[in-house]
Amino acid sequence: MPKSMPLTLLLAATASLFALSQQEKPLDPFEEAMKQRQQYLQTFGILPGDLFAAQGEELFHAKRGPKGKSLEGCDFGLGAGKLEGAYARLPRYFPDTGKVEDLETRIVSCMERIQGFKPEEIKRDEVVALTTFVASKSTKAKIAVRPQHPAELAMYNLGRELWYTRAGPRDMSCAICHDNYAGKRVRLSPVMSPKEGLGSEWPAYRFEEDRMYTFENRIQFCYTSVGIPAPAFYSEPQIALTTYILAEASKAGHSFQELPFFTR
Amino acid sequence: MKQSAHKAILMGALALLGLAASQPSPFGARLEAAVRSGGEPYAQVLSAQDQAQRLCTQHRSQIPGALLPQFLQEQKALIRYPRGGMLLGEWQNGEKVFTDPKRGNCYACHQGDPKQLAYGTMGPSLTNYGARGQSEAVVRYTYEKIYNAWAYVPCSLMYRGGVHGLFTPEETADLVAFLVDPSSPINRR
Repeated sequence: MPKSMPLTLLLAATASLFALSQQEKPLDPFEEAMKQRQQYLQTFGILPGDLFAAQGEELFHAKRGPKGKSLEGCDFGLGAGKLEGAYARLPRYFPDTGKVEDLETRIVSCMERIQGFKPEEIKRDEVVALTTFVASKSTKAKIAVRPQHPAELAMYNLGRELWYTRAGPRDMSCAICHDNYAGKRVRLSPVMSPKEGLGSEWPAYRFEEDRMYTFENRIQFCYTSVGIPAPAFYSEPQIALTTYILAEASKAGHSFQELPFFTR
Repeated sequence: MKQSAHKAILMGALALLGLAASQPSPFGARLEAAVRSGGEPYAQVLSAQDQAQRLCTQHRSQIPGALLPQFLQEQKALIRYPRGGMLLGEWQNGEKVFTDPKRGNCYACHQGDPKQLAYGTMGPSLTNYGARGQSEAVVRYTYEKIYNAWAYVPCSLMYRGGVHGLFTPEETADLVAFLVDPSSPINRR
C-alpha cells in the first residue's frame, strides 16, 4: 500500500505532539479534543481520520481480489456504488445476503461476493479504512435507522435485550451507565445515551489511542472495559446493538457528526 | 404389564415437562444463537449470568417490591468477612485496591483523594467520607456496601466487587480504612 508509509510516519510524529499538550489539570474532554484537532490541522494540514478515509477511497476503487473487481458494484442500500447518505441508514436488511448488515459487515460481504476474497483473507485494517471512507459520505447526515423489515425488527429487539443484559464480573450492562447515568462522566469521559445522540461520532480517530475506531471497535472497547470479552467483529451482537443504538438516536432526531470524527 | 405401561407414560410426561422447563422461549433461543455468534469467550460470560443478574436484566434494574426482601436477603448471605472479623484494615493498601483499574477501579465513578483529578461522577464523591466517623455501624455498612453493593441497592451500577472476587475480604477491610481513616488522603485537608 503506497499510502500507508507516510501515514505511519505522520502518526508516529503525532505522539510527541500529544505529549507536549499534556497538562496537570485535565481540560473539559470536548475542549481538549477540539484543541488537539486544531493542533493537528495547524501542524499537518490534515486530520488523521481523513488519511484513513483517503486510504479507504483508494481501496474502494481499486480492482482487487480473485475476481479483480472494485467495490463500486457494492450496494449499501441505495443502489450499487451510491454512497451519499448510505451509512445513515445502516444497519438494514439486504435481500442478496438475506441478513441485516451494518456498514462493516456489508463491506466484508461485498469483498467476499464481488471481489471473491475468502473470509480469512480479509484484513481488518482495510475494512476500517473502507468503513471510514463510506461513512465520510454521511457527514452530518440525519441518522435514519428505522427498523421495518421483520429481520430488522428482530435485530432491534435482540439489541435492546443485550443493551439491558447485566453480566460479567462487574455486573454491567450498557443501559446501567448509558441510560441511568447519561450526562455524567466515567473518569473524564462523558457518558451519553442514545437519546442524546450516542453513536453519532463513529467512526472516529481517537487521539489518546492514536487509532481509528469504528462503531464495532467502540462496542468492543465498551465490553472489554467492563470485564466482558468483546463480541467478534461482524457478529450478531455487534449488529444488534448498533441497530438498537442508532434506531434510538434516529427517534430522537440526531444527525451524525463530521465523519470521520476526531475525539478523545 | 399394565403398571409398566403407566410408568412409561409417566416417564414420557416427565421428560416432556423437563424439556419444556429447560427450553427457552423462541426469543430466548434466538438471543442465545446471536450471543453464540459473538464468539466463545463472549458467549461464555453472558451465559454465566447468575440469578441476580438475570433478575436485574429481566426487570431492567428495577426489582419489583414483592421480590425485594428475598433479593436483599440472598445478596446479604453472599457477604464474606475477614478471618478474625476485623472490618477495618490498612488504608495504604486500600488506596492501591481503590485505584487499580483491574480491582476496585473506584475512580471510574467516584471522587476520592482530592489530588486525583481524573475521577468519574456517576457515584457520589467520597472525599472526606471519614466525616461519618468510625462507629461500628458506619464501618459495617461501609464494608458490606463495598463487598456487595446489591445487598443494599439491588441492581445498582456499583458492582459486587467482593462477590466477584475483584478484592478479598481483607482487601475490603483495607478499602474501608481508606475511606474512614482520618489519616487517609481521602480525609486529609
